Amino acid sequence: MLFSVKNVSKAFKDNQVLKKVDLEVNKGDVVVILGPSGSGKTTLLRCIDFLEKADGGELDFDDIHTDLSHASAKTIEKVRKKSAFVFQNYNLFANKTALQNVTEGLTIGRKVPKDEAIEIAKKALDKVGLSDKYDSYPVQLSGGQQQRVGIARAIAVNPDIILFDEPTSALDPELVGEVLKIMRELAGEGITMIVVTHEMKFAQDVATKVVFMDGGVVVEEGTPKEIFTNPKEERTREFLMRILPDFNYSI
Amino acid sequence: MHPFHPSYVFTVLVQLFPYIGVTLLMMLGTVIFGGAIGILLAKAKIKRRIVPRAIAEVYTYLTRCVPSIIMLFIVYYGVPALLLQFGININNFNKGVFVITAFSILFASNLGEVFRAAYLAVDPGQREAAVCSGLSEFQAFYRIILPQAAVHALPNFSNMLVNLMKEGALAYSIGLIDVMGEGNLLIGRNQGSYTLETYLGMAIIYWALTYVIELIFGKLEKNLSKGKKHATSVA
Ligand SMILES: Nc1ncnc2c1ncn2[C@@H]1O[C@H](COP(=O)(O)OP(=O)(O)O)[C@@H](O)[C@H]1O
Ligand SMILES: [Mg+2]
Repeated sequence: MLFSVKNVSKAFKDNQVLKKVDLEVNKGDVVVILGPSGSGKTTLLRCIDFLEKADGGELDFDDIHTDLSHASAKTIEKVRKKSAFVFQNYNLFANKTALQNVTEGLTIGRKVPKDEAIEIAKKALDKVGLSDKYDSYPVQLSGGQQQRVGIARAIAVNPDIILFDEPTSALDPELVGEVLKIMRELAGEGITMIVVTHEMKFAQDVATKVVFMDGGVVVEEGTPKEIFTNPKEERTREFLMRILPDFNYSI
Repeated sequence: MHPFHPSYVFTVLVQLFPYIGVTLLMMLGTVIFGGAIGILLAKAKIKRRIVPRAIAEVYTYLTRCVPSIIMLFIVYYGVPALLLQFGININNFNKGVFVITAFSILFASNLGEVFRAAYLAVDPGQREAAVCSGLSEFQAFYRIILPQAAVHALPNFSNMLVNLMKEGALAYSIGLIDVMGEGNLLIGRNQGSYTLETYLGMAIIYWALTYVIELIFGKLEKNLSKGKKHATSVA
């Protein structure tokens, strides 16, 4: 197994947001996390990348083993250098061009020589269809283009795993497709990803595993087929019924 | 009253011109030392750790209520008296030292507020994206946050400088010979003639300094705001 977390717990004040969540990811997996708003999906991803400090839980990632609540700065850095995060609202560096957004993690984060970094960054931007936007600043780009820069920034560092937190939910409907298309391509190339999304078609087509979360726990997990055609738990069924109008027919 | 001599205003300008340096040095010193305290205050308030934050709040509260002229005298008389207790005599230090000390203490909270607001104006998501990209906290700060925060800080910083410059004119009261101090000496030497012309000359100098400060900071803001809204034309 490439990556796993066990017993992840997190509370904000007296709001227990994660209650002993486990998650396992194999190399090449596309794990899609579904669940209603407020179920703790974002918090789980943020705890994995130490953007939020979990109250408890363990992380195993390649050769790294660490406690989520007591990780050393060095371990945190190591985890972050082996992974990448794609944010719901892109979080591009506003003072940097598209190209610089991508090179930053290479030259500064990983000490890649500048020429080489530019080479890699251009390739990454070409891949997401932005070969004509190298020198544009984020404000000059549409939401879809910004998120594609966000994805280029993630793939450029050749991470072992990419965490996506609702990468399309801040986008206008007509821009969702261009981002999903790229994510499908990445999945096709065998890139390991954890994807929080409400795009059910993407989950059905691309996921190797679907995890359904509600109220801070993993309610159920399985293949897309198991989850979408034969969910075991009532809560999963209710959720799918709400979100997929034709869910009943597919049973 | 003798008749008004517009041409004497020009004489005043020429005579006071060399003292602009003193005024500017006072401002520079205050920005450096007050800025250093201001950074600590801003950091304490942003990080929200209880003890540093409480100290910062109390500091801000106490210094905010003290008029500059009172702070000048407290420092001018108080600090030497205090240090004398420890056997250190600083009574014949340059007056500028006391002035810079007093204004640093006073303007640290203004500067801290400028820094704090500027820092908070940058979306924290960018810091998160930076550390997730493999930058250290420090690299994320000085490569991503600081350049953007600095641009946000410029207008407030420029306002603060103008305020500091105007308040700085009070330094003559403890005997600093800056533009205001020398202007007063000039009035004394002329035994009250040309008083109006002298004050007008001083006003013109302060007006010109303000103009230059605002010009410089306006230009800086324009040049540094890479990636901000008005750069859209390149697209
Ligand atoms: N920084 C925070 N401070 C306090 N509460 C938070 C914070 N972040 C998230 N929460 C709370 O945690 C719960 C789960 O949030 P989140 O992980 O964003 O859910 P999801 O991504 O599944 O919609 C929500 O009730 C939310 O209000
Ligand atoms: Mg979320």
